[in-house]
Amino acid sequence: MSGETTTSVKQRDRETKQGWSRFVQNLKRSAIEQGRIFMRSKMAVAGLLIILFYVVLALISPYIAPYEPYERIYMADGGWAKLQPPSAANPLGTTEAAHDVLSQLLLGSRIAVFVGLLGAFMVAAIGTTLGIVAGYYGGWVDEVVMRVVDILYGLPFIPFVIVLVTVLGASVWNIILGIALLYWLSTARVIRSEVLSLRERPYVEAARAAGASDFRIMGVHILPNVIPLSALYAAIAVGYSIVAQASIAFLGFGDPSIPSWGVMLQRAFVTQAFGVAWWWVIPPGLSITLIVTGAYLVGRGYEEVVNPQLQQKE
Amino acid sequence: MRQANADLDFDDDAPLLDVTDLEVTYRTRSGDLVAVDHIDFTVNENEIFGLVGESGCGKSTVAQAMLGLLPSNGDVSAGSVEFRGIDLTDLEKRELDTLRWEHVSLISQGAMNSLNPVLRISNQIIEAIQAHRDVSKEQARERTAELFEMVGLDPARMDDYPHQFSGGMKQRAYIAMSLALDPDLIVADEPTTALDVIVQDQILKRLKELRDELGISVIIISHDISVIAETCNRLGVMYSGKLMEYGDLRDIFANPYNPYTLGLQNAFPTLRGDQSDLISIPGSPPDIAALPDGCRFRERCPFATMECDTEHPPLEEVAEDHYSACYHHEKVETMRTDAQRRRTWEALREGGAATTRAATAEDADD
Amino acid sequence: MMFASLLTVITILFFLFRQVPGGPMSAIVSPRMNEAARQAVIEQYGLNEPLWKQYVFYMWNVFHLDFGQSFYYGQSVYSLIADRFLNTMSLMLTALVISYSVGTFLGAQLGWLRGTTKERAGMLVVLLIRSTPVFWTGMIVLYLFAFQLNIFPLGGMRGMQASYTTNAEKFLSVDFLYHLVLPVFTLCTFYTGLPLLLMRNNLLEVLSEDYIKTARAKGLTERRILFRHAARNAILPVVTAFAIAIGFAVGGQVLIEQVYSWPGLGREMVQASLRSDYPLAQGAFMLLSVIVITMNFFADLTYSYLDPRVRLGGN
Repeated sequence: MSGETTTSVKQRDRETKQGWSRFVQNLKRSAIEQGRIFMRSKMAVAGLLIILFYVVLALISPYIAPYEPYERIYMADGGWAKLQPPSAANPLGTTEAAHDVLSQLLLGSRIAVFVGLLGAFMVAAIGTTLGIVAGYYGGWVDEVVMRVVDILYGLPFIPFVIVLVTVLGASVWNIILGIALLYWLSTARVIRSEVLSLRERPYVEAARAAGASDFRIMGVHILPNVIPLSALYAAIAVGYSIVAQASIAFLGFGDPSIPSWGVMLQRAFVTQAFGVAWWWVIPPGLSITLIVTGAYLVGRGYEEVVNPQLQQKE
Repeated sequence: MRQANADLDFDDDAPLLDVTDLEVTYRTRSGDLVAVDHIDFTVNENEIFGLVGESGCGKSTVAQAMLGLLPSNGDVSAGSVEFRGIDLTDLEKRELDTLRWEHVSLISQGAMNSLNPVLRISNQIIEAIQAHRDVSKEQARERTAELFEMVGLDPARMDDYPHQFSGGMKQRAYIAMSLALDPDLIVADEPTTALDVIVQDQILKRLKELRDELGISVIIISHDISVIAETCNRLGVMYSGKLMEYGDLRDIFANPYNPYTLGLQNAFPTLRGDQSDLISIPGSPPDIAALPDGCRFRERCPFATMECDTEHPPLEEVAEDHYSACYHHEKVETMRTDAQRRRTWEALREGGAATTRAATAEDADD
Repeated sequence: MMFASLLTVITILFFLFRQVPGGPMSAIVSPRMNEAARQAVIEQYGLNEPLWKQYVFYMWNVFHLDFGQSFYYGQSVYSLIADRFLNTMSLMLTALVISYSVGTFLGAQLGWLRGTTKERAGMLVVLLIRSTPVFWTGMIVLYLFAFQLNIFPLGGMRGMQASYTTNAEKFLSVDFLYHLVLPVFTLCTFYTGLPLLLMRNNLLEVLSEDYIKTARAKGLTERRILFRHAARNAILPVVTAFAIAIGFAVGGQVLIEQVYSWPGLGREMVQASLRSDYPLAQGAFMLLSVIVITMNFFADLTYSYLDPRVRLGGN
């Protein structure tokens, strides 16, 4: 490093900064363009509205929930208001432990949204990164990544998360860890395929000839083109993550102190009350169904409009 | 297993294939597009008829329309395609199915994917046979072996899968399949594209043998005029959905009347004879969604005048069994000479028709 | 490849279970054991030896199908999971066979009907079903048909009075089938979506291929074109997808076993985990993984059988 003048060092810094700002610009441009495309699909917009509804619900639920989730409701005579059907006091009735179902439902949206968004983000991030790296470098890097993918496909998801939770403890974070470890496989495969064809494009060749670093090519040229596909898989992952968390909670491995729809269903099942208390069973399940449908609509709708676009660009 | 069995009433006096005033429209998001714009031609017995033109001129669409194989957004919106007097475009599926393969068969473009990759070739041929004839599998297999020999393939390989055959072999297998029921007419849509020249030659020779030995007529559709020149008795030159020149091949090649034909001849190497410098027609065909008024070829024609701006010229008879669509048939001698000069066509790139006429006037003195 | 997967899974388990609260010792040594038993186990697993030696001992035991003793039952884990294995497979395989047959058939129909209102409606229904968590569907189904309408039993694999001598008797009895209906039905709602959607999408692609045009030109019936030509090609990706889906299918199986109290591997694993019965949890998971890897392998075999391009190689 000796012999370098201060001016050339400064120049390199400037170039790096320019490189980063161009990267950000590319991302922004790509995002806006995709946003416009997105709006063209009625399905995608409908799905987005559903998701937004739940996000808002998650944010305001602590303020609008009539009771605490684990607050005991009492009847006029002082006894517990167990398994009460819907009434004015409790619009969705009460549980076996005399808790208000509506409050639990509203507050449960927080975990759902949290797990959904975080899980999706991780799946997209890990899957996209590994997909790009494997597809771009090829050779042994690709082999290694694909082998890992093949092997990990041999691990059944729910049993694996059960093991994780058994060993590491029952918390939302361990469920998210499980999702991060296993849900990225399909995304990586698909992104890798896409990158395999993208890297043959003339502008990539040109960049390579001009001496751009691998990192720069992957970040500036390849990544923006792959983002629509990542977004699609991220949307699908939202649904999968929410169902995964609910399923694990249902089996009894969720954190019972945090109200979630999965935990609600677990209590309903374990107390065998679901045979009678439809007001306890239907709302949480319906909510899960609805939010997953929303996520799926976003993904499908977006894909429908992006596909013809992708083909036109060829 | 025979399934196709409607009774069809053929007219023995009618020509083998008579296309009259055919119009094919595609319904797309940007509106209705007319891909084939009122075309007439006839194909006779024992004849190889060629339909030549650039990509997108509508020739493949004509082939598809004939056999009822247009995609779901395509329709025959006017005219008729009469096979021995029966209008193919007017038939119900059951009737059309009887006719398909039995009387008219197809050799598709790109044998790459025209054979089902998961079925044995023999089974695909047997299927065609048994769909129309009441024969046992053994008999169908015998016939398949016969067909293989007919096209120069080893019958021992008939149980192979398509991917085990080379491109040329696949195309021959396809031809064998198209002959299975002794059709009167074969429609060959780009039969030799993507094959190397030697194999191309063999295939074309084979098609001619079929005409001579079995009396089968063939319609060859190609963008390569040398393929057409090599095999056909008669031809039609298509451009942007219209027929520009049509009739007896030898006469058209010896005495071409249409500027587009002149341009095409320049643009292809001949199968035999020397490789003179190729002159291509600059520009590209008009967008079907935005057709110009007047002659479709106007923009790329070195001989266009104001007269050509009004309406697309109708087909005129210029000699026996020879028709051409142009307003300048009286100047055909000059056009023929000028068309052979590279400058005539290059000038189009720079300035357009007016410049061309000035340039050709100068050249005339050389 | 299959072997490498198995090895990796077993190794992952080895390292994971060492993280159990209480250390590697707690993973293997039951709190109820007496001193002699404890010593025996410590010997067998080399718990006082360096790590790599422990790994070797572990692998040795696994390959001899010795998964230790269940803390809760006091029996060998192997005998327990072997017993539950058939229970799980009978349910899962039945559901898979039905789902994939029905799914591909319906998917082909939907693909054929592309663009029609019937198809759109069908797709909407499929979407909704796929978004529904399978355990919730199970609860609803139980609620309707068992609790309310009383047509089917409330769960379990057999009635109180039932007793059998052979497995064949057990699994072919009416009583068994009677208990099988609801769980299979629920699992099918979960499994059918994937083959159905895949088949529909593939069919659209396949229908635009040249060989379909050839088939039409040959004058074949629509039915024949659909099944012999189109479906036969469209089904290939479904087989591939099956290999990937099996991991999630097992998850569904675990949930359904729980809802219907079906005495299978999944339920056993869940209960063992809740009871901190580590050897049993580990053994059950391992067997579930083996099932996934094996089915993966068979899917690959089936694919190469169906696709002559893979089976015979090209020019």
